[in-house]
Amino acid sequence: MLDENRVKLMTRLALYEQTEGKEDFKISEYYKSDYIGMHVICSVLWVTVGYVCVGVLVVLAGLEDLMAKMSMGLLVTLLIGAVAGYLVTVIIFGIVTSHVYNKKHQNARQRVKLFNHDLIKLLKLYEKEKN
Amino acid sequence: MDSLFVFREKLQEVYAKHSRIFDKVLQFIVAIVTFYLINDNVGFMKIASSPAVTLALAVICTFFPMNITIIAATALILAHMFAVSLGVLAVTALVFLVMYIFYFRLTPKMAFVVLITPIAFMFKIPYVIPLVYGLISVPVSLIAVSCGTIVYYMMQYVKKAAPGLEGKGKDGFMTQISAYVKQVFQNKEMWVVIAAFIICLLLVYTIRRQSADHAWKIAIVIGAVINVVIIAAGDVAIGVHTSYTSLIVGNIAAVVVGLILELFFFSVDYARSENLQYEDDEYYYYVKAIPKLSVASPEKTVKRINERQETEIIDTDEVRRKSRRGGKVPKGRELREVKKAKNAKGGAVPKKRTEPQSGPSVKKHDIDEVNKMLLTQGLKQDLDLKG
Repeated sequence: MLDENRVKLMTRLALYEQTEGKEDFKISEYYKSDYIGMHVICSVLWVTVGYVCVGVLVVLAGLEDLMAKMSMGLLVTLLIGAVAGYLVTVIIFGIVTSHVYNKKHQNARQRVKLFNHDLIKLLKLYEKEKN
Repeated sequence: MDSLFVFREKLQEVYAKHSRIFDKVLQFIVAIVTFYLINDNVGFMKIASSPAVTLALAVICTFFPMNITIIAATALILAHMFAVSLGVLAVTALVFLVMYIFYFRLTPKMAFVVLITPIAFMFKIPYVIPLVYGLISVPVSLIAVSCGTIVYYMMQYVKKAAPGLEGKGKDGFMTQISAYVKQVFQNKEMWVVIAAFIICLLLVYTIRRQSADHAWKIAIVIGAVINVVIIAAGDVAIGVHTSYTSLIVGNIAAVVVGLILELFFFSVDYARSENLQYEDDEYYYYVKAIPKLSVASPEKTVKRINERQETEIIDTDEVRRKSRRGGKVPKGRELREVKKAKNAKGGAVPKKRTEPQSGPSVKKHDIDEVNKMLLTQGLKQDLDLKG
């Protein structure tokens, strides 16, 4: 016998499972700290690559001026500036990444919880029908 | 105004019914416009810029998620840059990589903004972008808008300077790259436009979130004015050459688009707004509640008055003849026989009343007219009797 409530519940479950659920289940397999930590490490690596790219672009843009004014002092200053800039960028991106992925994990967990709740409801409906 | 809301409701209904088709058609249009504009502006690789390739790419991208269109557009740009020179390709790829690393890795959905911004530039309505994203998005989208602006100016530079950049050989490779980067990132016009967009987007976002009446309209107008003011100031102070006609027309277009968006996303009735004030143990609350405007689209029902009804024309002679021949016949049978007789006659008695053809129509009397006629006849008879 078709139960309207059960059909609605099953549709909702299937819809979630086939859309957002795919990623949410993967995310919720991790502990929050592990998930954030993994992405912060990834982010640091990516930012390093990106920083090098920006550095290359900046050097290319000011190559002629740099060569004209080249001295040991300038080179040291530039190196210190570059390292300081790198550290600041990495810290900022670390914070941003941890915030973004913290939120992502929280939301995913919330949705998975709701999904489980609906699943239990569905089981109860089946049991009710059996009895 | 009501008709506008009715139109909106109808549009929403139609979209809800066929959203899948509309989405795909929209995706196809965005893809084909993107690839066409890329090929039209920087189409240095002959094979990649052919109409067949453009169409094929657009069709393929239609059946995949939007991110595939973005990746295909990036690949197409890089292919054209490769045709110009290896140096230009390296720098462009580097810029795209930086954009991805620092921003789109975290918010992949925003990559669409980078696609749509250069398109708006090419249609001469770039001012629509910050205004629209200020109205419907979050401030972080300004990074994506800025990246889109950089992509557009990069393409513009390559379009203009391609003959100079081509075929310099290995010796001029570094000079070539250096000149390209310098020209792209020291472009004053680009930075002025980026500054205008950032300020416009932030202002529009801040104002439209206020509880003041007509906040969206105020935000739209201020956004457009700020765009004009900053770019005009840049023209005066830094010497950036801007066409004032396109600046003003572009901003008028932005205002129009903004108002259309308001109609769809924020239509409220300020006349019926309520200001409430209450408190609990911890807070005082000052709440402004503005009712949403919604007009139910009227459903047209056609009520037929004086509907044409099929009437059966009985051949009275036939009935009389039959009744004389067969004596008394039961009523039902009599009717059946009449019908049979009609069928036997074939064309003699029309089965169905034919629709009136064009020509003089039969005079019709309405009920009032008939009543009047009857009343007059009755009165005449009465008078005759009396007379």
